[in-house]
Amino acid sequence: MEKQKNEGKSSRRKFLQTGAIILGGTIVATYLGRGPLRRFAAETAESLDTPLLVSTYKPDFWFEVLTDNTILLKSPKVEMGQGIFTGLAMLAAEELEVSVSQIRVEHAGSSNGPMDLTLTGGSSSTSSLYVPIREVAATMREMLKNAAGKYWNVQPGSINVKEGILTSGKNSMSYAEISALTKDWDVPDTPALKSVSDFKYVGTNVKRIDLIPKVMGKPIFGIDYTFPDMVYALILQSPYINGTIKSLDTKKAAESAGVIKVIEEKDLVAVVAKTRYAAEMALRLIEADWDIPRKWQQADFEQIVKVGNGNAVHIQDDGSAESLINENPGSAFRQEYRTPMAAHAQMEPNGTVAWVEKDSAKIVIGTQMPGMVARAVAKALDLDPEQVNLQVAYSGGGFGRRGMVNNAVHAAIISKLIGKPVHVFNTREQEFQNAVYRPNTHHVLEAKIGQGGEIEAIVHNQATPDTLVEAFAGSTALSLLGADFLSSGHGAGLIYNIKNRAAIVWQNKLPVRTGIWRSVGMYPNTFAVESFMNELAVKTGKDPFEMRIVLLKGTEKVNERYVHVLETLRERSGWDSPKPPGKGRGLAICNDRKTIAAAVIEVQVIDKRIKIIKVTNVIDAGLSINPEGIRQQVEGCVMMGISSALYEELTVKDGQIAASNYHEYPLATLADTPQIEVIILQGTDQPLGVGEPPIEPIAPAIAAAVFDLTGQNLRSLPLRIL
Amino acid sequence: MKIDFEINGKATSVDVDPQMPLLWVVRDELNLKATKYGCGKAMCGACTLHVDGDIFRSCSLAVEYVSGKSVTTLEGLSKNEGHLHPVQQAWIDENVPQCGYCQPGFMMAAAKLITVIPNPTDQDIKANISNICRCGTHPRIIKAIKRAAQIQQTTTLISDGKAKE
Ligand code: FES
Ligand code: FES
Repeated sequence: MEKQKNEGKSSRRKFLQTGAIILGGTIVATYLGRGPLRRFAAETAESLDTPLLVSTYKPDFWFEVLTDNTILLKSPKVEMGQGIFTGLAMLAAEELEVSVSQIRVEHAGSSNGPMDLTLTGGSSSTSSLYVPIREVAATMREMLKNAAGKYWNVQPGSINVKEGILTSGKNSMSYAEISALTKDWDVPDTPALKSVSDFKYVGTNVKRIDLIPKVMGKPIFGIDYTFPDMVYALILQSPYINGTIKSLDTKKAAESAGVIKVIEEKDLVAVVAKTRYAAEMALRLIEADWDIPRKWQQADFEQIVKVGNGNAVHIQDDGSAESLINENPGSAFRQEYRTPMAAHAQMEPNGTVAWVEKDSAKIVIGTQMPGMVARAVAKALDLDPEQVNLQVAYSGGGFGRRGMVNNAVHAAIISKLIGKPVHVFNTREQEFQNAVYRPNTHHVLEAKIGQGGEIEAIVHNQATPDTLVEAFAGSTALSLLGADFLSSGHGAGLIYNIKNRAAIVWQNKLPVRTGIWRSVGMYPNTFAVESFMNELAVKTGKDPFEMRIVLLKGTEKVNERYVHVLETLRERSGWDSPKPPGKGRGLAICNDRKTIAAAVIEVQVIDKRIKIIKVTNVIDAGLSINPEGIRQQVEGCVMMGISSALYEELTVKDGQIAASNYHEYPLATLADTPQIEVIILQGTDQPLGVGEPPIEPIAPAIAAAVFDLTGQNLRSLPLRIL
Repeated sequence: MKIDFEINGKATSVDVDPQMPLLWVVRDELNLKATKYGCGKAMCGACTLHVDGDIFRSCSLAVEYVSGKSVTTLEGLSKNEGHLHPVQQAWIDENVPQCGYCQPGFMMAAAKLITVIPNPTDQDIKANISNICRCGTHPRIIKAIKRAAQIQQTTTLISDGKAKE
């Protein structure tokens, strides 16, 4: 694979060798005056207010014109299944005047492209690149036109471009041809961008551009990567929460067939073997005694994560909600909700392929944070950042689990010690027992209901451990994402226009690492708040649609969008038609960083098991780049939402995470697939996130449907019929 | 121990521990990476492949078992991109994969299913394939399998017709 790559490279003509666009204050400053496109970048960057930071490593470029007249786009965002490569190709094609199929997308690496210094996540990839990628593409198109104009001695304005072919009168030549003929490039001012109404591809259904490698089974994932003479390692990881090694006997492991070495370096113990199988066998032969600081139990985790424990932060405080409720606490309508700890359970385990030589390190990894991984490796090996060549692989699922360094540093150290390239991937057991988890949460909701059934005040108290946004995204990302994103308190506030409303987040700390899981705090908060709203509707005798529409009406654009989403959903889900016998229906809605997603779900209960029959989704994620891609994401959210609402729960027992593999942490299967309908609205002309919001209404809508059918209010996830 | 078998139509021979799971033999000895590791315990189906036409979860199958047999992985399902297997074609038509990691296992299970049940219903598919997909491509997988069954029928009809000519 490596070899092919190098051969490919030498045959390419590098078009924009210094063609980096660098966004963000201080980084821009260091690039002022360093080459034409960088100057251009600096000039335009100030006007772009997007939370995107890309690397300054050389030689940066976004696009390359290849000899077959296709264009290679180096994506700073990581493809983990969400379809970002396809979206970016469509945006670039618009301004480059080529067809989408003429664009190939690869991950940018640390040595060859605009590497993302923040994170692929938060459903922000498309929106953050929406303007910059088109600006760079448009600039490149003009550069090509200018070069052709010079060559033919005609006005660039007289040149037409179609599908990567430039024509002027009788003259005609491809992008590849003019690229091969040009040495000095004129960089124009940033051209005006096409308006939305002129888009050719944006808004049309385009199939994923990574279909062929994915249906042919090409070796595109980190775990598939090989270097010549590569060896396999497994790291000894504590099966106990925060266990440390008390004593160790590695003799049998060292003697096991195929083992090259057992590494014992400070806290790193690893077996290195000729095959993965030999490494697995040897790992089992290590006899380790563990010091366990405490035998944690499930009850401890529930005790820690409790409203009233830890620091309280007011996320929302309008009117005098708390005092209104506290005036007469006995008369308030009060309910408690819980969500469990959860695993990402992405199908490809985390791991790294590392090859460290004297003055260089090659790292191949599927990660949501390439910049952070590269820095961590450089630091651990005492190398300059330029000496770390990080190559991003396709990720076999992310969902937040790859937003950290994981074992990249350990893999690099092992490679350095052993003097060979090494492949270090977790076993599934390690993925479950030694991971980063979505934390369990506890919610108390209280409402003051007036004489006429109107809601006078609501207070939401949420207890949650932090999801480590600061630890892995850094303070820059934090300030860009906003205060409500600080922790998994994200989404604790109420979207409903209730005069007196408050949301308080109690930040707790669990003894395990907790982190982002698809949709961050919105997942537990939407479950709690929307379940409570549904209960309030029942309590006050209102239709759940009616109640929400009344409370979401207002003068702002977003109010109009809410109402449109709800009215569309009401009609398309058949809410007003008679319910089939034996079925229940429920509704929930959310606003996740401006994307509005809502669902109506129909359920049956058979032998105390909840069966999802039909899910109707309406999503308003602003401008749709690729409706087909949006539908894929919504369907994925529905399935992951069902899986999580009905089955998933990670518990703690005797100091261990109780689940060790999928049999103890079952996921939804084909048998759980309901009928799914996806309706896409475009309430604004900016593209918004789609990868997370649609999962948020799933659990509360199922809970409401179960209540509708059985009269049981299920207030803890996973939902289990009593 | 030396073990001889056929991989994707070609004779091969490996010299490994006979207990080594076929998964790792295929991936690391034969360098065929489509077959995936997901759980190592026959629970996820990511490592599904065919041995003498039957489906197996190769993470839990010792390589000695395939001695003298014929193994097919996703790489061997079709000749090349120009001659896709009905399942691969249907997977493209329905735009199935997201991250793609589970898909080889699903495609191998589907390829077998449509030979046993040439016209499967949703229920047949749900009852017979227990692989897991974290990205939630389930609805498209079901559609794609039904489509693959159709493609398979039309292609058999065509080749039957040709045979008669
Ligand atoms: S890896 Fe074989 S079934 Fe999961
Ligand atoms: S497509 Fe990602 S696990 Fe199935």
